[in-house]
Amino acid sequence: MGGIAITGIAETTPTRRADKGLHELVVEAALAACADAGIGPEEIDGIVTDGVVMPTTVPHDFVAAQLGASRGFDAALSYGGAGTTAAPMLAEMAIASGRATNVLCYFGVDWGTRTGGPYAFHDLYPAKLAYEKPYGFNAQPTYFALWARRYMHELGLREEHLAALCVAQRENALAHGGGQTSAPLTRDDYFASRMIAEPLRVPDCCLISDGAGAFVMTSRERALDAPRPPVHVLATGYAAEPTSGEDVFTQGPDLLTLPAVRAAADQALGRAGIGIGDVDFAEVYDCFSISCLMQIEDLGFCAKGEAGPLALAGETRIGGRLPVNTHGGLMSYSYLLGVEHVIEAVRQLRGDGGGAQVAGAEIGLVGGLSPPDYGVLVLGR
Amino acid sequence: MSVDADDPRFRPFFDAARDGRLAFPWCPACERFHWYPMPRCPHCRAGEVAWRDVDGAARLYSWSVVRHGFDEAWAAHLPYIVALVDIEAVPGIRLITNLVETAPDALAIDLPLAAVLPPADSADARVLFRPR
Ligand SMILES: [Zn+2]
Repeated sequence: MGGIAITGIAETTPTRRADKGLHELVVEAALAACADAGIGPEEIDGIVTDGVVMPTTVPHDFVAAQLGASRGFDAALSYGGAGTTAAPMLAEMAIASGRATNVLCYFGVDWGTRTGGPYAFHDLYPAKLAYEKPYGFNAQPTYFALWARRYMHELGLREEHLAALCVAQRENALAHGGGQTSAPLTRDDYFASRMIAEPLRVPDCCLISDGAGAFVMTSRERALDAPRPPVHVLATGYAAEPTSGEDVFTQGPDLLTLPAVRAAADQALGRAGIGIGDVDFAEVYDCFSISCLMQIEDLGFCAKGEAGPLALAGETRIGGRLPVNTHGGLMSYSYLLGVEHVIEAVRQLRGDGGGAQVAGAEIGLVGGLSPPDYGVLVLGR
Repeated sequence: MSVDADDPRFRPFFDAARDGRLAFPWCPACERFHWYPMPRCPHCRAGEVAWRDVDGAARLYSWSVVRHGFDEAWAAHLPYIVALVDIEAVPGIRLITNLVETAPDALAIDLPLAAVLPPADSADARVLFRPR
């Protein structure tokens, strides 16, 4: 029996502003994930995180010191949500080669309290400072607003489509419970909500959160002894275009297709030996409604321009043809850059989805976007 | 909101703009433009990058009317239009900019635009666009 499984998951309570610091939140999630996996924290012998955000904010050595974990394996995979989602790719290599037994992945963020929040993040790109920020192109909602406007022109996206996706995810979040927002969202509420950067409104944008999530991976054999039902890593995919983060929002022939999404999905589905139609639910990186719709298309769930109509037909709701973001996603649950998507997929496959459980869920797909990187994780019972 | 552009990788754009020209990085080895500026040509990896003038005619690729102040400097200017424009003479190169002499209701995808270059002595070297 080859391969690995996820045996432990944990996240801190979704919230805008936590009463603890980022390091404390990460350690809390990591310890709880170990407990969920039925191991002592000192049994962690490998760590994998994204390669851009965590190594410079909550480094592996700090977490290892708190856990009392001696590492025989340590790795980071580029960029935020893509890196976290594809982290099992590296964990699997380490476990298969005997370099590690229990591998921890974590991600935490304090953009709810940190000055500048997510908007300050792109200051790491000097070309953006020179050529974009002076024109007020200074925040993610504006970047994605440009894509949405162009998408409306080229592919017939309508505000109704965006509304339908947002309303479905809020409905999922309320059925799931425990998310950062408890306010219902109707279609009328959507259209009455404040514009942020036209055509994107408040509900089209992800939340901003303080928090952390973590998960523990081990071999399928060892997973049989874990206290909770193991969730198998059926396959991973990771792809990154030769495009700088400076260019990714404005340059390139076609901004409405994310080539890395298709490439990573092809890798993962090929390795899992399944078709996209075999996927029972998807947790798709919904930093914005528009980017979520684009990924649904580029992952292959439907043709280009058809994700909006899919949402409008109610197919992304629990009970629909393709339930998307069963916990409410980044727009209605929390914004930990996608670690909550991995955690929610595991909950679903354990049958712990509560009011948001997808009936008969056997295979779930997680997509993690941090342009130009994309990570895909296919999980199964 | 003046541009802080002392970085030698970025400065030729602003120097040209103050001189009344729109210029982009151009590779003498493979004779192709690229954007944003990189230390080496991303098409052929040649180390010498020159700058070449191009005409300021552009088309509106997309735009947004921004209604939320993400930082203090811009909160005072709400609402404002951010535009992404295709430079007609250099297919594949786009500029983020602000539009002048127009209003949100007058905007449409592919609207023809012309560059508005800054005065020679201006501290503000931003390149704006207006309908043509
Ligand atoms: Zn070249």
